[in-house]
Amino acid sequence: MKTGLTRLLPYVLILLATLALVWIDKPFWIQLAIGVAITAITALAWDILSRTGQVSLGSAAFFGIGSYTLAIFEPLIGLALAWIAVVVVCALAATLLGLLTLRLRRMYFAIATLGFALSMQVLVVVFPDWTGGSGGIAPPVLADGDPRWQLGLIGLLLLAAVALSDALLGLRFRPAFFMIRTKPELAAASGVPVVRMKIFAFIVSGVLIGLAGACYGGLYGYVVPTDVFTTNWSVLPLAIATLGGMDTTIGPLLGAIALKALEEVARSVIGGTGYQVVYGAVIILFVIGMPQGIVGLLRKAAALAGRRTAAGEKKKERERHA
Amino acid sequence: METTLLAQSLLLALTTAGLYAAIASGLTLEFGVTGIINFAHGEFVMLGAFLTYFLYETAGVPPLAGMLLAGLAMTALSWLVFDGFLSRVLKQDEHNQILATIGLSILLINLAMIAWTPDARVMHAPPLLPPLQLGDVIVPGNNLVVLLVGIALYAGMIWFMRHTRQGLLLRLAADDPQLAVLAGVDVTRMFRLSFLIGGLTAGVSGGLVALILYVQPLVGVDLVMRAFAIVALGGLGSIGGALIGAVLLSAAENLTATFVPGGGSWGYGVAFVIIVLVLVVRPTGLFGSERRA
Repeated sequence: MKTGLTRLLPYVLILLATLALVWIDKPFWIQLAIGVAITAITALAWDILSRTGQVSLGSAAFFGIGSYTLAIFEPLIGLALAWIAVVVVCALAATLLGLLTLRLRRMYFAIATLGFALSMQVLVVVFPDWTGGSGGIAPPVLADGDPRWQLGLIGLLLLAAVALSDALLGLRFRPAFFMIRTKPELAAASGVPVVRMKIFAFIVSGVLIGLAGACYGGLYGYVVPTDVFTTNWSVLPLAIATLGGMDTTIGPLLGAIALKALEEVARSVIGGTGYQVVYGAVIILFVIGMPQGIVGLLRKAAALAGRRTAAGEKKKERERHA
Repeated sequence: METTLLAQSLLLALTTAGLYAAIASGLTLEFGVTGIINFAHGEFVMLGAFLTYFLYETAGVPPLAGMLLAGLAMTALSWLVFDGFLSRVLKQDEHNQILATIGLSILLINLAMIAWTPDARVMHAPPLLPPLQLGDVIVPGNNLVVLLVGIALYAGMIWFMRHTRQGLLLRLAADDPQLAVLAGVDVTRMFRLSFLIGGLTAGVSGGLVALILYVQPLVGVDLVMRAFAIVALGGLGSIGGALIGAVLLSAAENLTATFVPGGGSWGYGVAFVIIVLVLVVRPTGLFGSERRA
């Protein structure tokens, strides 16, 4: 279905783009690229989870847990172990939330995950001794504050997310994931370990988002709860994956680039207050006009082009015969 | 002293419960009939609050009349929104349905921020009723109005659902859309009707918000989060459950704020601990049925 070359395309593009931006070293473009990469990671992670039919509104919980875990553990156990702690804590939180919401379907699942994310924010404010409360907390600065190295590291994480997403779209997982989404009873009956698969997807997704959150916290070395636990971080991944094209790897990447570019334009035209109005407008237009996202549109265009060339060849053949 | 504090806290909780119930019952009606959670429901409340506020501050329209006008305006806006785009996502996948109303919510919040700045405003209307004194406990007049109007809205909705032909058809469309189609019911019309009623109650509730809270572009977010908790408690789609959920949540919130040190800052966190707990124990809410999920 897909040739090896198009499969490699996202990796090559990310590598080239990262290297080029580091080479050119223009602060504006590097900051923009960091923003795109972080949102792309969260969108890929959201998409991985949604392939098992779990449409989450709780990404912000893991984003925040990631940055807070790094900040809380770094003074206690050192930087390297603190990063491992991020993975462990996010995996535990994902397992917990996954088990709690296992029986919930559709809208109930969405509301419960949204509730989890908002409870996390309150938890941070309620225990100020550990978390700094609403005043915020200081995670260790990523790569000594050198934006080029920051972009390099986040680019690597993005590559890992892309590889994970591809692996989970491979023959080993894809059929099981999609069967759990469309026909969970059938999946269970045919021997797919439904619970294990759903929790597994939750852990992969949660850890990826948590690492993205830890990187985000390390950009400036300072975060407040309303910064990382905001509902924005729950909505953005869903919006980007849907706009780009769900159940693909390239979709969330395209979606992140498109939405971030649009955000920059809107920010310079409208200003700091209310520029997110473009998010609302774009989401509504996409849901009406192209519910399959950018990838769906490209596929349709490719199919159309394919039909046209096929028709052209037939016509030529007919002319040759005539 | 302790009992006075308790009584005061519970009485105030009861008045806010009226507001919560009015907001949540519109949300739950829309969900029950269409299967869509309207994440923009709070923004209709917010717009209703701004309308009531501006009608009073610039044209001197009395708040009660302003509330009614706000309700009518939100009904019209709901019509526009439903026919303009929500009707098109009814058959799409759930992530698109969720995204559609979230998109609308983001759009309305940010338009309000551009138009009216993110600052909070307070409506300087004189109290509509004299305060009620019960022993040592005093309930402010506007809180009484909120309780009365909230209950009236809620009771009106229950009456409409139980005692009118349209209400009967709405319930049929909610219970079994396929059967409703076979029975010759125009299901799309019923879907629209549920959004019109939701818009009306949201607009009027907005007026109540202007009376006892503040008017600000993000005020709807706070309220709709609580409405989610109430609806999860009462069961998605259950209007009866919404009232019980509203009373429970409101009491829990007010008691935490009064008796837990620093509990005032917990805000809707209380609501969400409740949501997660209830859904874990009963995945369809306390009074919900398995039918829609």
